[in-house]
Amino acid sequence: MAALPARLGDWRQARELLRNLVAKELKVRYKHSALGFAWSLLTPLLMTAIFTVVFATFLRIPVDRFAAFFLAGYLIWQFFANSVNASVGAIVSNGSLIRKVYFPREVIPLSLVLSQAVHLLLALAVTAPLFYVLRGNFLPFVPALLVGLVLLVAFTAGMSMLFAAVNVSFRDLQELTQVMFMAWFYGTPIIYPRYLVDDAVADAEGWLMTVLPWIQRIVEANPMTWFVQLFQRPLYGVPAHPEVGAAPPTWPDATTFLVCAAWAVGTLTFGWWLFRRRAVTFAKEV
Amino acid sequence: MARRGQQAPTADAAHAPDRFAIDVTGLHEVFRVYTERPPGLKERLYRFRRARYHEFHALNGVDLQVRHGETVALIGPNGSGKSTLLKCIAGILPADAGEVAVHGRIATLLELGAGFHEELSGRENIYLNGAILGLSRAEIAAAFDDIVDFAGVREFIDAPVRNYSSGMYVRLGFAIAVHVDPDILLVDEVLSVGDQTFQEKSLAQMRSFSQKGKTVVLVSHDLGAVRSLCERTLVLHHGEIAFDGPTDDAIEAYQQLLATGELPAAGVVEEGRTGDLRARITGVRVEVAGTGGTGRGGQPSPVGPVAAGSTARVDVEVTPQADLIGQGGLSVGINVRRPDVQPSVYETRTSWRASYVAPPPQGTPLTVTFDLDLGLLTGAYLIDVMVANAETNVLHERWTSAVELAVEGPTHDAGIATLDARVRIDNPDGVWPPESHPPPLDEGGPRYHPVRDGSDEPEGARDAR
Ligand SMILES: Nc1ncnc2c1ncn2[C@@H]1O[C@H](COP(=O)(O)OP(=O)(O)OP(=O)(O)O)[C@@H](O)[C@H]1O
Ligand SMILES: [Mg+2]
Repeated sequence: MAALPARLGDWRQARELLRNLVAKELKVRYKHSALGFAWSLLTPLLMTAIFTVVFATFLRIPVDRFAAFFLAGYLIWQFFANSVNASVGAIVSNGSLIRKVYFPREVIPLSLVLSQAVHLLLALAVTAPLFYVLRGNFLPFVPALLVGLVLLVAFTAGMSMLFAAVNVSFRDLQELTQVMFMAWFYGTPIIYPRYLVDDAVADAEGWLMTVLPWIQRIVEANPMTWFVQLFQRPLYGVPAHPEVGAAPPTWPDATTFLVCAAWAVGTLTFGWWLFRRRAVTFAKEV
Repeated sequence: MARRGQQAPTADAAHAPDRFAIDVTGLHEVFRVYTERPPGLKERLYRFRRARYHEFHALNGVDLQVRHGETVALIGPNGSGKSTLLKCIAGILPADAGEVAVHGRIATLLELGAGFHEELSGRENIYLNGAILGLSRAEIAAAFDDIVDFAGVREFIDAPVRNYSSGMYVRLGFAIAVHVDPDILLVDEVLSVGDQTFQEKSLAQMRSFSQKGKTVVLVSHDLGAVRSLCERTLVLHHGEIAFDGPTDDAIEAYQQLLATGELPAAGVVEEGRTGDLRARITGVRVEVAGTGGTGRGGQPSPVGPVAAGSTARVDVEVTPQADLIGQGGLSVGINVRRPDVQPSVYETRTSWRASYVAPPPQGTPLTVTFDLDLGLLTGAYLIDVMVANAETNVLHERWTSAVELAVEGPTHDAGIATLDARVRIDNPDGVWPPESHPPPLDEGGPRYHPVRDGSDEPEGARDAR
């Protein structure tokens, strides 16, 4: 009975609490820095600079305008990874609150995801000129970005709740996430375009012929591949070799959109369902 | 069915007289007590088994019904399950078996300032904490000034709470919590954290809560606070309700539980009489010398009115109902109290006076007589009578309010006890109005009198005219 979704009054209260918690996250983050928001932009920009030097200049990843290509994917990844990493230990670290006050527990991961979403929006707004200058006019495709954002937030929220709930019974998950996300990052076409994987499979010889197709399948099954693609299309265009020149920003293709929508709905439903199921006994376990 | 009442209370539904504010039936709460460390992923993966634990029933079939507007205390030894029960009522813990139904909006004070964020200002924390406790933004805004004034932190309201003293922290937490304005308030032990002023303030707040007709469940080890706030008290022991009744009887049972590890065998036999009844109070007689007035235990009308300062004789007749010989002496006691004042006015027991009362054979009465000087002031006084085992303190019977005594004292004093003041006035320089007839100097009159001798006045007195 208690596992059923909370009542109407609960939702009004939860919304209020959610708003307050998001505001708290943002305030705490920016309270002490004169530069405030600039700091949280510095990381992606610095990473873009470093990755551009290392991967575009030294390692010569063959992709047109590497900086714009990387930044489009990295902002999305940052949002996803930061949200899940913040949420995974959040139920345990908020134990004193959970043991002492009744409130819908999902507001804890959700507030973390939403505050990260605010960062992402700001970061997108600030880096918009960069994309404009490097890749051309993406403004007609802003609706696609907004829909993409909704799907990405839904997917991330589902994942965050899943990780947060599981971490209550398996505390090691918290440690494991770090490693897991590093592998996940390299398994997502962010520093390399997806066609490089296809090229490698086509050129494979010997034992690589058995291994590489598997890697290709993993990359394809990776939901973040699709989400990155969902944002890359309208922000950057269709990745291509520098000699060919990438196509300018465009609408995401229907497959990408549908795959992302399926992942978003599926993950959110499963994550939330599991979270609600487990949340009943959080107060006993944390 | 209303689970926890976080919903906006609909007045008629929440206060329908046929429904209890809190209705708990057959509640079990089971915890896993691990006999080894809870397993991590690693252990689970390579051992393919669960850690060893046994199940521990922190609540073992608890029934509790609280009416709307009732103030109830929960007492019991450490670990008896009091906090667990409150958390179940609040919906923080799920019921593992049984039902918990709550009608009305609930607020819990399990810990003050839970959910405060150090980096945020007092103002921001009021909004955050209010939201955690279930208030809407408008509700907090409306109560904001009251909260700040109640906490007395106006000067620091925009400073981060990291810079608050711990007292300020606690006060702010309490101020927010009491402004939640719930229908049902659950309080666990938080009253004992603050200083004296804070405790009095919080007690006053709780009292006003119950006067406003709110339902209050209070968990406390402060039996004084329990006595002064609650008429009904439950004793929890090993996760079961061991006693449910009037506060005085509950506290008696609880103290006996602490002293002996067991509860009185029998509960309440009739109104105001509790104990294991192995010895019973078979008669109480009060006789006041002088102005007269006699009475017997249990008579409905008060004895008297008797004059303050007269002498009263209280005969207590006790009859063993079982063979008590060889089980230690008896202790017979009386307790004089006023219905409106908390600590007793006077209490004594034979055992405190090192008088050994040897138990007579079963069915044979003994009488203990207390001669009292009624150094009391005007008011109604109640006399409780008790008999217990002098060594183990096991209560045989307590008769609460066995006799009521109406006392009429002098009108020039007020209070409970007369300390018999003799009054002298030393005021030689007092100035009386000219037409008055002041008493002579040795009875407190002035040295100078304006009409009789104008030349002899002190400077000030003349100027004043
Ligand atoms: N999360 C938990 N996991 C395991 N056991 C628990 C948990 N919470 C409480 N218990 C156990 O349940 C029992 C009752 O605890 P509870 O806190 O209700 O006691 P209490 O009556 O409030 O005691 P106190 O007077 O010390 O506050 C204790 O034995 C405690 O060890
Ligand atoms: Mg407790």
